[in-house]
Order: sequence, then C-alpha cells, then structure tokens
Amino acid sequence: MKSNEARDDELPSIPKIDKTIHEPARLMIMAHLFVVESADFLFLQRQTELTWGNLSSHLSKLENAGYVAIEKEFVDKKPHTVLRLTNKGRTAFQEYRHSIQQVLEDLPE
Amino acid sequence: MEEKIDLKRIERKAYTSYHQDGLIDVFAGFLILSFGLWLILDMAWMGWILWFVAVSAYAAAKRVFTIPRIGFVKFAPQRVKSLQTIAVIGFSLSALLGVVAFMQVEGGSTPLWLLFAIEYYMLVIGLLGAASFCVVGYTFRIRRMYAYALLTLIMFAAGHFLYYPLHYYVILLGTLILLFGLALLIRFIRRYPPSTIESLGDSGNEEQ
Repeated sequence: MKSNEARDDELPSIPKIDKTIHEPARLMIMAHLFVVESADFLFLQRQTELTWGNLSSHLSKLENAGYVAIEKEFVDKKPHTVLRLTNKGRTAFQEYRHSIQQVLEDLPE
Repeated sequence: MEEKIDLKRIERKAYTSYHQDGLIDVFAGFLILSFGLWLILDMAWMGWILWFVAVSAYAAAKRVFTIPRIGFVKFAPQRVKSLQTIAVIGFSLSALLGVVAFMQVEGGSTPLWLLFAIEYYMLVIGLLGAASFCVVGYTFRIRRMYAYALLTLIMFAAGHFLYYPLHYYVILLGTLILLFGLALLIRFIRRYPPSTIESLGDSGNEEQ
C-alpha cells in the first residue's frame, strides 16, 4: 500500500489559488469590476444582485487585501462611493483566472 | 469551481443595463427628427448645432434618470476611443471626398462616383445611417441599434423607389426611434424607483 506522501506526489500540481478571490461573491465582484474602469456601489449591487450588507462586507475584505479601491466623494451634495480594481487587484484576478484554468485543465477526464 | 468566468457576458450585461433606459434612443430619435424638420425649413445646419446641445443634455438626463436608479459606471475608455477614431476617420474621408468632388466639378468634369452618389443618394444615405447605427451598437454593445440600422436601410432603400422627399423618411425614422426610446424610458422609470442607497457605510439599514 502506498503512503500518503507517495499518493500526493502522483496528484497533478495544484497552483496556489487566491482564497480571497475564490469565494463566489467576491469572484463576482472582482469580475464585474474587471470589465469596467469604475462603478458606484449601487451599480455593482444591481449587477451582482447581492444584498447591501453582503456586498459591503465582501468589498471591505477586498479592500483590505488591496484589490479594490473605495473612494468616497460627494456628487450634488450626496455621498457617492466609487469602486475600482487596483493594479494589484487586476493582476491578482488575472493570475486567479490563469490558476483556475490550469487546475481544470490538469484534472483527469 | 467549474463555472467559466465569462467576462464578455458580464461586460455586455453592464453595457445593456446602463443603456436600458432608452435615453440614447430618445436623443438619437430627437436629433434625426429635428434634422428632418430643419430640412423642410432648408436649415439643415441647425441640425448639426443641435447635436452639440444634445450631447450635454444627454449627460444631464443620465444624471437625472439613470444614475439615481441603477447607479453609475465608467466603462474602459478603449471602446469610446475607437468610436472617436472611427468618427474622425469618417469625417476626414467625407471632407476629403467633398474637396476632391468640388475640385473636379470646378475643373469641368463630374466624377463617375459623384454621379452615382447623386443618382442613388437615398441608398447612400441609408447605408451611411445604417453604418453609423452599427458602429454605435458595437461600441456600446446595444443590440437594438442593429435593428435601427436595418430599419434605416429598409426605409431609405424603399425611398429610392417611392420618390417622396428625403425629409419624409428622416422625420419618420426619427419619430419611430424617439417613440421607442420614450417607451423604454417609461418602462425603465417604472421598473427602477430611485434608490436610497447612496454609499458604502451610509444608509446602511437597507436590505441588511
């Protein structure tokens, strides 16, 4: 009987998946911000169909990871939150896509 | 994680959402309609002046109707830049053709292509109009623009055989697009009431 270590050696190498992005809601947020230059909170909420609380909490996590920049400004005396992917976020998202593609391709039929 | 991340679909969805308000149709229809009316008064140049007014009015209307309802998005500038490039090339080519035609006519010989364009002017206008709608449709991912392109082509092709004055077709086309745009705008306003969510961290009690 093969040892666990030996079996692990036979498994295809799984690249490191960014767990911050891998979570479905955050992946959706990253994908929606990736295709635009910037968007406000309301637009992102309409697109992702996440609740206010959910979106807010995931955005905070992405901001803490340095993937999303959250800029607050006033438009017509109303608070307005503009969200955009940082360069780090764009790179991380592209790397994530590449990694996940690699994992799927390496899986046996 | 077996779902494919379809970025093209996501991008198209973002464009479609932002332009579902029908404002682009309203303004395009209004411009075409007013151009037709100015043609009757033999003041077509007024249509071009109105174009510049309409661009600022469009931005203001977006702020009033769209942004409070579905939010604001700034798309990647590449597509708008390619539209501007196409517009500059188109304008330069038209100007160049105009100068060449003028010089040849002044020289005493009317070029064959000009005679063709005069003979089939309705088809030429229809083709140019359809091409413009296609460019806008492609740039902003608005599929209904292709329908407008087809409508323009059919109307002006029919106009070639029906011999009504040009402004009839321009006014009819503008009216149809304007009405369709207004219908879309009304549907949009009914579907999306103005949102109270303005910002992350503000008015946070909603939908939590």
